[in-house]
Amino acid sequence: MAVKFTLDELIVCRAAREIRDREIVVIGQGLPMAAGILARKTHAPNALIVTEAGIVGMDPFKIPLHIADTSCCQGYAYGCDMFDVFTSILNLGYVDVAFLGVGQVDRHGNVNSSYVAAADGSRRRLTGAGGAPEFGGYAKRTVLTMRGGEFKETLDYLTTPGYLDGGDSRYRAGMPAGSGPTVLITGKAVFRFDPVTKEMVLASLHPGRSFEEVASEIPWEIRVARPLETTAPPTQKEIDIIRRLAPDISMGRSLYAEVLAARVLSILAKSQRKT
Amino acid sequence: MEAFMESDKRMTAKEAIERFVRDGDSFVIANCLTGMPLALVHELIRAGRRRLLLFQQGGIEEVDLLLAAGAIDRLVLAYNLRMGGRGASPPLERAMREGTVQVEEMTNFTLLAMLKAGAMGYPFLPVLSGLGATDVVRESGFLGRERFAWAEDPFTGQKVLVVKGYQPDFALMHVQRSDPLGNGQLWGAMINSKWAALSAKKIILSAEKIVGTEVIRSAPHLTVAPAHKVCAVVECPWGAHPSELAGHYDHDLVFRALYFASLGRPETLRAWMDEWVYGVRDRREYLDHYVDVFGSETLERLRSKPFPSAPADYGYSFRPMWDDSGRSELLGMSLADFQSFLEQRSALIQD
Repeated sequence: MAVKFTLDELIVCRAAREIRDREIVVIGQGLPMAAGILARKTHAPNALIVTEAGIVGMDPFKIPLHIADTSCCQGYAYGCDMFDVFTSILNLGYVDVAFLGVGQVDRHGNVNSSYVAAADGSRRRLTGAGGAPEFGGYAKRTVLTMRGGEFKETLDYLTTPGYLDGGDSRYRAGMPAGSGPTVLITGKAVFRFDPVTKEMVLASLHPGRSFEEVASEIPWEIRVARPLETTAPPTQKEIDIIRRLAPDISMGRSLYAEVLAARVLSILAKSQRKT
Repeated sequence: MEAFMESDKRMTAKEAIERFVRDGDSFVIANCLTGMPLALVHELIRAGRRRLLLFQQGGIEEVDLLLAAGAIDRLVLAYNLRMGGRGASPPLERAMREGTVQVEEMTNFTLLAMLKAGAMGYPFLPVLSGLGATDVVRESGFLGRERFAWAEDPFTGQKVLVVKGYQPDFALMHVQRSDPLGNGQLWGAMINSKWAALSAKKIILSAEKIVGTEVIRSAPHLTVAPAHKVCAVVECPWGAHPSELAGHYDHDLVFRALYFASLGRPETLRAWMDEWVYGVRDRREYLDHYVDVFGSETLERLRSKPFPSAPADYGYSFRPMWDDSGRSELLGMSLADFQSFLEQRSALIQD
């Protein structure tokens, strides 16, 4: 029987496969956290999960609301602080993989999560840099996930260095040798980066997606891997794990917002009936 | 730097803001994302302070509320949650468009490094130089050149990116417990708390619970706000609501969902603030109103179950210099022997 899954489940599973056992992994809230949890419950039980809030070695039983939310786990191995994470963990080269969300991305995997220019010349502020620039700059590998963002020939703002102008420009600018984004996972496809030119290469299409619809969203001529594969779907086991631990991620943001709104209204109605 | 040495600094949030906050001050919020000092933030808004400069690591509600209230006009910022969708116009976006706030973009690490340098009394601190390739360094706001610089490593001659140290006028901080002196103890995700608190010239502290100094002294590793830096101690249960606080309560998603829903338009946010900030006198009235609107069981469901830390045993033999019979095992004599010993050896001086 064919496995049925949501788009967010597909992305989480694909992202989880970027984590290897016994790696040190920096993750943020949402999709990346679900990927980290899934990896620990499947192929990477000894991966060490770190958030920049100074939580090291967490084993969440659900998705935290944010990177400093410890209500999702009972204790953790090492409680340090944000300064420690960026210096004695990241700067010393301990971070194997960092997961970053993307607002805009260019062909060399540089990321904007700060400002998007509107048609009238004004700028809409996204969340801001947070920890992304240093993690993207200094982790050995960076996994980029993009939901609702866009491909740009020139970013409106360069928040986080990918491969800068391609080739070895990233390393000339001071980032550790060999580091950089290894994969970009979007709602439609998966991209990798050419080992020499560091240009983005379309590696796989999600089930049901066509090359044309992916290419139409990219303002340059996207290079394509041969053979162009289909993104491997989640297994039933993976889906069972995600749904048990992270149904809020499984259903995607808009469905979750809808469900949450209905809950709020019912709580309010219940409390007003009483008074 | 002024030391605050009073032995009882307990006061209300209102008194604390009135006594220690001036228009035009700079400040920092010394809890980020978790355990947020929202009771103090609400009090700052009610007090009507103006032209404040906020060093803000990462925000959920604080920045938008303070901007909507007109309390801050400068912001050194690393991250601010943006809710309400593309069509919304939350206060930060609106204030930037209308020019009522100046924003300096930093990263989490470099903002905290500015504060850590200030906390250590250093003029600057090295950060990760690769950041030089980004617009965070290349573009600057109202701090201009008083932010990043390139220095030369005196040992290797290499170029190193540094940030300037800052000491904000005050910090707002919420903790689980404090004694009346202001030894504030915090646990859970520590994120920016230590360096943000220590960077400030004074800390306005709220605590879920005021405890005796003997409790503090049995667990000194948990003290994050040392009394000499704390100018005011406010006892404030649920002082971080709707954010969570380890050992006390979970985050309140239902309450937050209503707040987020109000962010879309200035009128709806104003109505939310009229109800939850301006419409109540203090955190106690806020909680009473919460129970009226949501029911007490909604609040009770947020309460933590215990998951106590294994106690750190600070024990020793605690053997005094002179035992009950007046003898010292170390010196091999009694207190009376000690006096004659000193006399024998001509060690005593008479005036």
